[in-house]
Amino acid sequence: MVAKIIQLILSPIIALVVGVFFLGLARKFMARIHWRYGPPIIQPVIDMIRLFYQKSVSHGRMFDLGIVLSLAGSIVVVLFLPLGGTAPLSGSGGMLVILYIMLLAPLGMAISGGQGANPNISIGISRKLILALGYEVPLLLILLAVMTHYKTISIVQVVNAQQSTTWSIISLPLFLSGLSYFLILPAILGIRPFDVSTAPQEISSGLMVEYGGKYLAMVTIEHAFVLFISIALFVNLFLGGAANPVTFLVKMLMVFMLGLCINAVFPRLRIKQAIKYLWKWPTLLAFLGLIVSLVIRS
Amino acid sequence: MDRNKITKWLKEPAKMANKYSLHAIYFCTGCGIIEIPPVITARWDAERFGVIPAATPRQANLFLITGYVSVKTLRAIIRTYEQMPEPKYTVGFGSCPINGGMYWDSYNTIKHLDKYIPIDGWIAGCMPRPEAIFIAVTHLWTLIDKEMANGYIRYRKNYESYRRNQELALGKLEWPPLYKASEEPQGNEQ
Amino acid sequence: MNKSLKEKIESTFKDLKVAIPEESRIAVTAENHSVLAILRFLKDAGFNHLALISAVDWIEDGFFELCFILTSYMQNNVEYTDSQRLHIILKTLIPREKPQCKTAIGIFPNAEPYEREIHELFGIKFEGHPRLTPLLLEREYEIPPFRKDFDTRKYVEDVFGNIPSVENNK
Repeated sequence: MVAKIIQLILSPIIALVVGVFFLGLARKFMARIHWRYGPPIIQPVIDMIRLFYQKSVSHGRMFDLGIVLSLAGSIVVVLFLPLGGTAPLSGSGGMLVILYIMLLAPLGMAISGGQGANPNISIGISRKLILALGYEVPLLLILLAVMTHYKTISIVQVVNAQQSTTWSIISLPLFLSGLSYFLILPAILGIRPFDVSTAPQEISSGLMVEYGGKYLAMVTIEHAFVLFISIALFVNLFLGGAANPVTFLVKMLMVFMLGLCINAVFPRLRIKQAIKYLWKWPTLLAFLGLIVSLVIRS
Repeated sequence: MDRNKITKWLKEPAKMANKYSLHAIYFCTGCGIIEIPPVITARWDAERFGVIPAATPRQANLFLITGYVSVKTLRAIIRTYEQMPEPKYTVGFGSCPINGGMYWDSYNTIKHLDKYIPIDGWIAGCMPRPEAIFIAVTHLWTLIDKEMANGYIRYRKNYESYRRNQELALGKLEWPPLYKASEEPQGNEQ
Repeated sequence: MNKSLKEKIESTFKDLKVAIPEESRIAVTAENHSVLAILRFLKDAGFNHLALISAVDWIEDGFFELCFILTSYMQNNVEYTDSQRLHIILKTLIPREKPQCKTAIGIFPNAEPYEREIHELFGIKFEGHPRLTPLLLEREYEIPPFRKDFDTRKYVEDVFGNIPSVENNK
């Protein structure tokens, strides 16, 4: 019982620390790719301390509460993910719950952005939700394939099954699904080529245009959580999870570095082009993966 | 650069954090903006000082007024400056905001920007080189340490004088006064 | 090419002067009432790009001089060398006391912002222009700023020099 409570408290803290570390690592890594020195790795922490010391301007009650809602959604999703040990809330419906609650984050931002009276916010949040629509279709097919292959909905059992056999990305039925998940990973993370929703040059950073001070700090924390969730889901479902947290974090680091390399060289796709891409090849691959795993299982 | 001294961080975190995370709003005022892209790209990297461009005034900390200020631009500058959250720092760039520079006898530019917006420091030059911009950033750190970079406090204290000057230069202003006479900020600022 | 065009213009219109100041430039000086006819003729001859309309203030002679600069889009092809690309500048004189002129929008629709700018900065009125509102400046000036009798230093001292600095203003 006490162990459970400790896990409940420790999981979001680990997710926050790892997420913020990934944000700083992203800036340093991108700078090195550009042949320059970058900021120190703890630069997001410095930014957040500065943001908490700034006096911000609020636009109303829903403006504050929307951010809290999206942050709460992200923290709840973290509690469902196994973190190298067992997950604190490891019920039997892990994957479906994550699929639903993962959408609370953009929804919370939409609620809070509705009260900021800036048209850039509406453009940014509409693009973010359309992008969510874009990657949800292949994501659903991928999760269905995983569920069919392992005959379970719980992520913990998927991880245990992979620990005893091999990684599912190199096993035959789920190879196509894993490839498809890797193709839509930049869209879920919100990095280039899919960062159309927070484009600083075009729509003045979209839905973060009216956030200053502590609101921006909360949005940065929420961004850190989303980073952690997306990569942790990939590692759990396709790269075998891990028996202890250290191996788990090392695997997450590898995947994140690959994503950053893609981020450094690609330009930004428009939202129409992004949806056309997301509904073409990744969906096709995920669909084929689903059919293959159905055929093999029956 | 004392970013690595942990004891200083624990003693006064607000000053250290304001120093090493100066987000400059990307407002391209005049001809001096041509010096900013070399500063923030790979050759003279400003990101290792913590200075990156921010897209909106609400996320920004530092306002660089680069180049000459015409009367229409002054309107936009005042509105942008008043949207930034405190504490905020402004730096005048080039010789045109100092005393008019090359346009000292022009019918449409503002000669002394200090009468309309509080300025914390000036960088002389037409245009200053990127090395001069970095010297200015480190000088701003020294000012923040000694608590002499208090432009925003001066703005709050002398708001009526600033607003009178702004009305003399621009005519009628479309936005209401930011601070009431009793030194309380308008709106629900927190 | 220059010579044939020069002869064509001189034969079609009377009381105008055509000069060739250098290679591939033609300068036409005309009266105010025939400007539109000459523009129409030049446009039909192939010079369909109005590059600029500008004005010069000759204060001692008491004239404004309006200059139209025309080029031809087709001559930007690679087949024409640099010396074959013709620019035609068409100059007219307008009296300084009552400066007005007919608009060239009927022939070249892109003359609209140039004429607006000249009206704002010189005070020349263009009849038939749909929108003679200020383009660049914000204030009202009694003498338009680009005229030679507008004293810029006195204006700056009167308007901007009288604003006190904040320390002296409290």
